[in-house]
Amino acid sequence: MNTKEHQHGHYQELWALTHGQRLRYGGAIAAMFVGIGFTYAMPLIVKWCIDGIMAGEFAGLSGFPPLEGHHAYVYLVGAALAVVVCTAIGGLLTYLRSRWAAVASQHIIRRVRDRLYTHLEHLPTRFHDTSETGDLIQRCSSDVETIRTFLAGQIIQIGRTLLMVLTVAPVLFWMDFKLALVSLSLMPLLFFFAFQFFNRVKDLFQKRDEAEAAMSAQLQENLTGIRVVRAFARQAHEIDEFADKNRAFRDQDQKLNVVMAFYWTLSDILSMLQMGLVLVAGAYWLMAGDIGVGTLFAFYTYVGMVIWPIRHLGRVLQDVGKAMVSLGRLNHILAETEESFDEPEPSHPIAGDIRIRDLSFAFEPGKDVLKHIDLNISEGETLAILGPPGSGKSALIQVLMRLYDYDRGSITVGGTELRELPRKSVRAAMGVVLQEPFLYSRSIRDNLRVGRDGATDEELLAAASEAAVADSISSFRNGMQSMVGERGVTLSGGQRQRLALARALVRDPAVLIMDDSLSAVDTGTEKRILEALRARKGRATTIVIAHRLSSINDADRIIVMDDGHIVQSGPHSKLIDEDGPYRRLCQLQSSLESSLKRDLESSKEPTRV
Amino acid sequence: MSDSSYDDELYDDGLNEEQFAERVDLELWKKLFVFTRPYRRELTMLISCGIATAIFEASFPLITREVIDDVAANGSQVNLWYYAGIYLGVIVLLGMSTLGFIYMAGKIHTYASHDIRRAGFANLQRLSFSYYDYRPVGWLMARMTSDCERLTDILAWGILDLFWGTSIMLAICIAMLIMDPLLGCVVMLVVPLLWWVSKYFQREILFSSRQIRRVNSEMTGAYNESIMGVRTTKAFVRESHNARDFGRLTGRMYQFSLRNALQSAVYLPLIMTLGSLATGLALVIGGMNMIAGTLTAGTLIAFINYTRQFFDPVEVLASWLAEMQMAQASAERVISLIEAKPDIEDSEAVLAGIASHHPVARDSELAVDGMEERIREIELRNVHFAYDPAEPVLKGINLKVSQGETIAIVGPTGGGKSTLVNIICRFYEPTSGEVLINGYDYRGRSLHWLQSSLGMVLQSAHIFSGTIRENIRYGRLNATDEEIEQAARVAGAHDIIMAKEHGYDATLGEGGQQLSSGEKQLVSFARAILADPQILVMDEATSSVDTVTEARIQKGLSHVLAGRIAFVIAHRLSTIRAADRILVIDGGEIIEQGDHATLLGHKGHYYELYTQQRIGTTTDRDSGWMPG
Repeated sequence: MNTKEHQHGHYQELWALTHGQRLRYGGAIAAMFVGIGFTYAMPLIVKWCIDGIMAGEFAGLSGFPPLEGHHAYVYLVGAALAVVVCTAIGGLLTYLRSRWAAVASQHIIRRVRDRLYTHLEHLPTRFHDTSETGDLIQRCSSDVETIRTFLAGQIIQIGRTLLMVLTVAPVLFWMDFKLALVSLSLMPLLFFFAFQFFNRVKDLFQKRDEAEAAMSAQLQENLTGIRVVRAFARQAHEIDEFADKNRAFRDQDQKLNVVMAFYWTLSDILSMLQMGLVLVAGAYWLMAGDIGVGTLFAFYTYVGMVIWPIRHLGRVLQDVGKAMVSLGRLNHILAETEESFDEPEPSHPIAGDIRIRDLSFAFEPGKDVLKHIDLNISEGETLAILGPPGSGKSALIQVLMRLYDYDRGSITVGGTELRELPRKSVRAAMGVVLQEPFLYSRSIRDNLRVGRDGATDEELLAAASEAAVADSISSFRNGMQSMVGERGVTLSGGQRQRLALARALVRDPAVLIMDDSLSAVDTGTEKRILEALRARKGRATTIVIAHRLSSINDADRIIVMDDGHIVQSGPHSKLIDEDGPYRRLCQLQSSLESSLKRDLESSKEPTRV
Repeated sequence: MSDSSYDDELYDDGLNEEQFAERVDLELWKKLFVFTRPYRRELTMLISCGIATAIFEASFPLITREVIDDVAANGSQVNLWYYAGIYLGVIVLLGMSTLGFIYMAGKIHTYASHDIRRAGFANLQRLSFSYYDYRPVGWLMARMTSDCERLTDILAWGILDLFWGTSIMLAICIAMLIMDPLLGCVVMLVVPLLWWVSKYFQREILFSSRQIRRVNSEMTGAYNESIMGVRTTKAFVRESHNARDFGRLTGRMYQFSLRNALQSAVYLPLIMTLGSLATGLALVIGGMNMIAGTLTAGTLIAFINYTRQFFDPVEVLASWLAEMQMAQASAERVISLIEAKPDIEDSEAVLAGIASHHPVARDSELAVDGMEERIREIELRNVHFAYDPAEPVLKGINLKVSQGETIAIVGPTGGGKSTLVNIICRFYEPTSGEVLINGYDYRGRSLHWLQSSLGMVLQSAHIFSGTIRENIRYGRLNATDEEIEQAARVAGAHDIIMAKEHGYDATLGEGGQQLSSGEKQLVSFARAILADPQILVMDEATSSVDTVTEARIQKGLSHVLAGRIAFVIAHRLSTIRAADRILVIDGGEIIEQGDHATLLGHKGHYYELYTQQRIGTTTDRDSGWMPG
């Protein structure tokens, strides 16, 4: 999956995201609308007071006592209370608006996160083969965050700006037509300017982000490879390389600073000019007696209220652009098809003989790693697979586990075609220990319980001692509770492999698969493990991939693979008599043994003399 | 403006939980402030522009007042062009100061963070491995990227807002007091209330956003785990369990995010309402005075406008204060990263030696520190070492190695093999005892000299992004293409490289994911050969290489090892047997040493290891696939 091949998201997809939360968003818009109305009350109330004082009589209060002494006081306190109450109600509505928008956006984002997570876990192994972890994580964290801020903030900001302009216009025209025209005259220019900025600056932002990414990548490489840097004493070289990237980022950032400075300044000047126009034109009509001082005040205040959000629009639009890009990047993941996993449970447990007929398989089209494999594995048998790297050993077991789907040939388990058995049941019936085992960053106990939920500590310990890891566990300060991973105990490769084996044994599976899973375990320990496994023999069909003869010559049957074919098959006693790679291997071993014997003899010579 | 991709959210690992500092530690900020020193001129401009902006902004209500009062008093006699001119003039001035402060703040922010990163990076190149042992790469990344942006944000924009905010509040106060002292005082009563509420909320808001970040980093970890462990998850059918655990995380995320959003949602309306209280007060008192004829309409309007201009600076100042309290931990970490002293560095005497060493003597037998270039002998005397005093790793190692010797080191995992090698390379220094090079304590020699005499091949070979050629050239930066190819041939990597689509020019991504681990080892082996080191260290360097290739390497290896000191940690018998001397290390001690035959004759630990492992070792990794 390539970062560059993403497409921008579409507005329909954005709309689809809001499913289930539209009522809340509707409520938020309604609250915003009414809230703006209340915010608009203050200038009108003040206008009414000022005009009333200037005229010596409040408009609409002709039947009331005149504007004198404590009556005037009562009127003014009433007006002041009205200002406070209107602002408070407006504030309450703003709160409701923010609350509903927050709840809606958080709901949406939680759903997106959960969906991404489950989706990633259900995507086929092939998808994970070709995608980069860092890139996926970047999408799941930063891109989701970008969409979140958009849904929680920018949608509201844009809506509010538009709504404010639209609602203030009638009020202005109601107060005075000519002055209203003047008040709105520069606003289209400001909108236009915001759009222009948005289009121009996109490129610059992208370049800056790229420069920053290049710098971070350089830094990360240096830090992860610090041992190599030191081993070759390349510090000066590294400092130069980083300085280049650091400077490039600084210069890109500075370019953006300059553009931003001009944008903000120009839009500020435009806004100020608009205010100035209102003041001067208002004063002109005030002189002409067309409007009162209160009206001028109201105009001036309204324009001030509306113009600031418009000024910010360029930046907001830019964030919208980013959100659309992020949405596109997420959809790229979500559009991948998941493995089917809703297959019906099988009527009987998955067990029995495994029969492979004419199986061919390729990870990439045209490059078969398994070629016409025919193989029967009886229930309870221990099968060892030998072969050079790339001969298809791991591919075979991954296909058996339905981590990959095969389309040529057939595999049956207990008579049923593997393809028709539900993936999850197939995997549940198998216990696997992979070449490079993965442990979760949880406690050792929880890691072992991955094998089987609800296994008791005794069962876990029994499995751990069979896998010869019980002593290691008890040597950790917190025993089973010890955390695995960065914040906990550091495990050696051998310990990881043995824990993974214990985890598979806890499962007590019908088929136990070990993919070169004792390679980092020393021979003495391996012997103990193999003895323990032998004691279990008969409980599970066991498939062992190994490189050491000692791990396999005890198997019921050994198959030797090369280049996707099975080239030899049979028990040790049979293969040793055949002319073939297996015998060569054993011969090599015995020649080494005899050379060892010679070594021993020669080293004994002096002591004998 | 810091949408860094290495945000704390990705890399906060809880090593240093961020906490709310009760007080702002000025000493700490002073240290950071040093980074603005080269930009003193810009800083002065920034502050002047900030103050000017504040004054111009505060002057608009005064102009409005003049216009209105003038019109009210003199009717049609007023020359509006005069006011239009003034207004325009102030707009132009304000525009200039705005341009100035945005430009200056942006520049200081950008340049200071560049400088901090540069200083941090340079120090990271000096710091010893012990510094890296306790700090994951992600942690260091976060310090150098997001922390850095965050702090310079405070340095530039925070300082600007500090001056702008206090100036505008001061200007408004002065203007109000001059226009009408009593009314001014009454209106200003609301300010402490605003400040107190703002301080409380800004703090709460930042605090809950901290919680969000923490959960977010856990969430990122969970994504990481789900992707890295996807095969295991599938194999054990853990999808729904994991999704349930993850659902709990997103649930917490939802809860914290909502709390944070609601705090903001309450704060703004609250502060608006408090502000309207001031407006109301101005309206009542101002209105009464106006009726009494002691106050003009223009003044009343100016007062009401001022009451609305107050929240901005209060809110901004309160949020910067909270941010400073919050970012204190970041500041400490960044400063500590820049100021951290390497455990291992050249002593005064060595530095003096380097300084006095004549550059003309370059091609002579002398190293950069004026002492012998050639390493004839390395001796370890009673070397002890411990990462953690409670758990000694090496206990009294004595060893003498001469030029041309190859030393194989064997023993169980955790016995101290790699540590021993790291000490010889001076990546760590002994806790007690000494390491002598040509009879002279290596702490008295140049670190750079020793380490540039090294060639290392590690089990997990590190590959840089770039081409294969560039990766090999890292061993010697001025090597020609022929030399690179030659080194690759000796390392047995040439054929494998040529089989790639673009040969030596095949580009490798980060971590060299296009290569198998065996191929990576070969490339890094070629790199070490190219470096032509005096000391060659191979730590399980060919463990993932198949036997055919291994056999080919062995052929070239004797040629490579000639004349050098080599330390080989290996499991393979063929490698061990060829060594001049074998050290058996267990429990931090050399329990046996000697050549293969002698050690077998002792029938001791080596014999035991050897006979016990012989089948395993001899057939290890497909020995049987050797042709013939």
